Amino acid sequence: MLFAVLHTPGVIFREISQGNSQVIGSVQKLTFFLILLPPVFAWIGSTLFGWRLGTADPLYFDNTTRVIISFFYADALILGYIATVLLARWMTDTYGVQGVRLESLFAFFTVVCAPLSIASCAHIYPNIFFNVLVLIPCIIWSMNLLYRGLPTVLNIPPERGMLMSSSLVGWLLVAFVSLLGLSAGLWTYGIGPTIGV
Amino acid sequence: MQPDSREVYHDGVVKRLVQFSILWAVVGMFVGVYLSAELIWPGLDFGQFWLSFGRIRPLHTNGIIFGFGVSALMATAFYSVQRTSNVPLFMPRLAWICCYGWQVVVLFGGLSLLAGWTSTKEYAELEWPFDIAITVLWVCFAVVFFGTIATRRIKSIYVSNWFYGGLIIVIAMLHIVNNLAIPVTYNKSYSLYAGAQDAIVQWWYGHNAVGFLLTGGFLGMVYYFLPKQANQPIWSYRLSVVSFWAFTYTYIWAGPHHLHYSAIPEWVQSLGMAMSLILLAPSWATMINGIMTVSKAWKKLTVDPALKFIVLALAFYGLATFEGPMMAIRSVNIVSHFTDWTIGHVHSGALGWNAMITYGTFYFMVPRMMGRELYSVRLANIHFWLALAGTMLYILAMWGAGVSQGLLWLSIDELGEVSYSFTDIMASMVPYYGLRLVGGLVFLSGTILMAYNLLRTMYGRHTVMVHPPEVIDELKGTRHNPDAVMGAPAANGTEVPA
Repeated sequence: MLFAVLHTPGVIFREISQGNSQVIGSVQKLTFFLILLPPVFAWIGSTLFGWRLGTADPLYFDNTTRVIISFFYADALILGYIATVLLARWMTDTYGVQGVRLESLFAFFTVVCAPLSIASCAHIYPNIFFNVLVLIPCIIWSMNLLYRGLPTVLNIPPERGMLMSSSLVGWLLVAFVSLLGLSAGLWTYGIGPTIGV
Repeated sequence: MQPDSREVYHDGVVKRLVQFSILWAVVGMFVGVYLSAELIWPGLDFGQFWLSFGRIRPLHTNGIIFGFGVSALMATAFYSVQRTSNVPLFMPRLAWICCYGWQVVVLFGGLSLLAGWTSTKEYAELEWPFDIAITVLWVCFAVVFFGTIATRRIKSIYVSNWFYGGLIIVIAMLHIVNNLAIPVTYNKSYSLYAGAQDAIVQWWYGHNAVGFLLTGGFLGMVYYFLPKQANQPIWSYRLSVVSFWAFTYTYIWAGPHHLHYSAIPEWVQSLGMAMSLILLAPSWATMINGIMTVSKAWKKLTVDPALKFIVLALAFYGLATFEGPMMAIRSVNIVSHFTDWTIGHVHSGALGWNAMITYGTFYFMVPRMMGRELYSVRLANIHFWLALAGTMLYILAMWGAGVSQGLLWLSIDELGEVSYSFTDIMASMVPYYGLRLVGGLVFLSGTILMAYNLLRTMYGRHTVMVHPPEVIDELKGTRHNPDAVMGAPAANGTEVPA
């Protein structure tokens, strides 16, 4: 199923759109696996290599801190995923969609996030610039899936899909920057790297 | 009083301001790209003082804000105030003086910055002779704009004019108060304020220049051009008016968040932080109003590149106006301040919001003023994707650089001393600056495409002569539903040439 999600997302979108419960169920099973990948990779990377910020010495944390960071990361991803689905459901009225099933939206966003989740294997080597380089093309890939897939899954014209996708991109950018802000706040309160504040 | 049949809107000055705005956009962005290259290859200053980072950085910011931004704001204010008031511009010759005078100030002001004349105040670097010239020209702008509103034939003052009016009044106040100084020579003056007071006044100016010029002024653009482009009334006119007053009241207090953990009183810092957080409400009210308005016009997206820019601008407006209050929280600010995260934040607003909304507006306005189709819709669509890619590359690079810097500046060793030197940290930023340079080049190439496209659209043509339409009785009355103004082409939309 993971191969199909990455290789033929168009087919999966059509199946979700037609309410194929077998496909929707299989994609939903993938969700659990995909959402845990980034925090697990982050934990492995920070254990093996430490955070590499471009200067000579990597930053190593004790095991408790690594677990807390990974736990917060997983929490943020789960909350962000659920919030995105609920927000999309709330938006559907505005864009002329009636009676969309929540499980279809969950499956759709799993497909959209799959490239980013797989690319999070870059966290194994937690050099920030390396991660930025790997994640940028995957963000573009995911955005492409969002813009292409939304009109198919919701059965709306592509132009309406583009408007709704753009609204969701706005939300996702806000969610991402919230993650940055939350991280900075946690560092200030002593969770994460030791900083002189 | 009905319009005289000989009356025409003064669009010649609008066209000229659009041309200057495009020119400054290309020049200002080129300087920005050069600056980002200097941060990778410092030798690019060739040992010349006038090419050093310290001199061309203010050239970049002043060129973009005052050259590109203010010229675009004057153009769109002059265009829209005539049409929402149903009268030609008041004192049109003064409008021309304002147009050319402003370009002279930007040109010579820019050269003075290269020569090293500076007051050292960010976004207010120009020395006192230019400050006086700006004040005089700003008064001219105010006379033309408010004079047109005073002679209007429609009872209500449409909301875009409230935002443009707020821009003119508040920027005048900020500019005069912040630039009060004692001149000692023709090119050097000293501020009337000292120490922490100087810092507070400067960031009261700096933050509200962002607020009332780069946000409020451009919201004026949104409130006129978005409904026109979408051919829909504003989703909620009432919300737009409420958000104007909430925005105006709240923004003016938020400046101290630029001075967290500094010598200013802690309660002033906390007040600035609290007001910054409250500011999210009116900012997002406007974003929601815009998104709901455009959501009804989805059919136009197929044929209309301008609307795509406006949609994207609203998304980035939402991002920037969320990120700003978040960065004003003191526990976040201690990490983000003095890092490239701030530069990324500024550019998510400047590229994603200000530039995109201006591009969308120009793609709307120029073909209508010229009475012909846009030279190439395909080029405009390519421009859209270049602008999006450039902005994303830029802000992602700066987020990465900023977070790294935030951690590295604050990293301490077991003796409590800083772990890394400034030069080590800056040297480690080179990959991010390379990515930022690519993003800037992509964005600039899109702007050059737009310049070519719009100049070809204007080439060899005069602006179309547009007469103010008859004002229907409903709009002349004492009260009316203002939503009707923008949604009724018969009343207000007949300026669109066939």
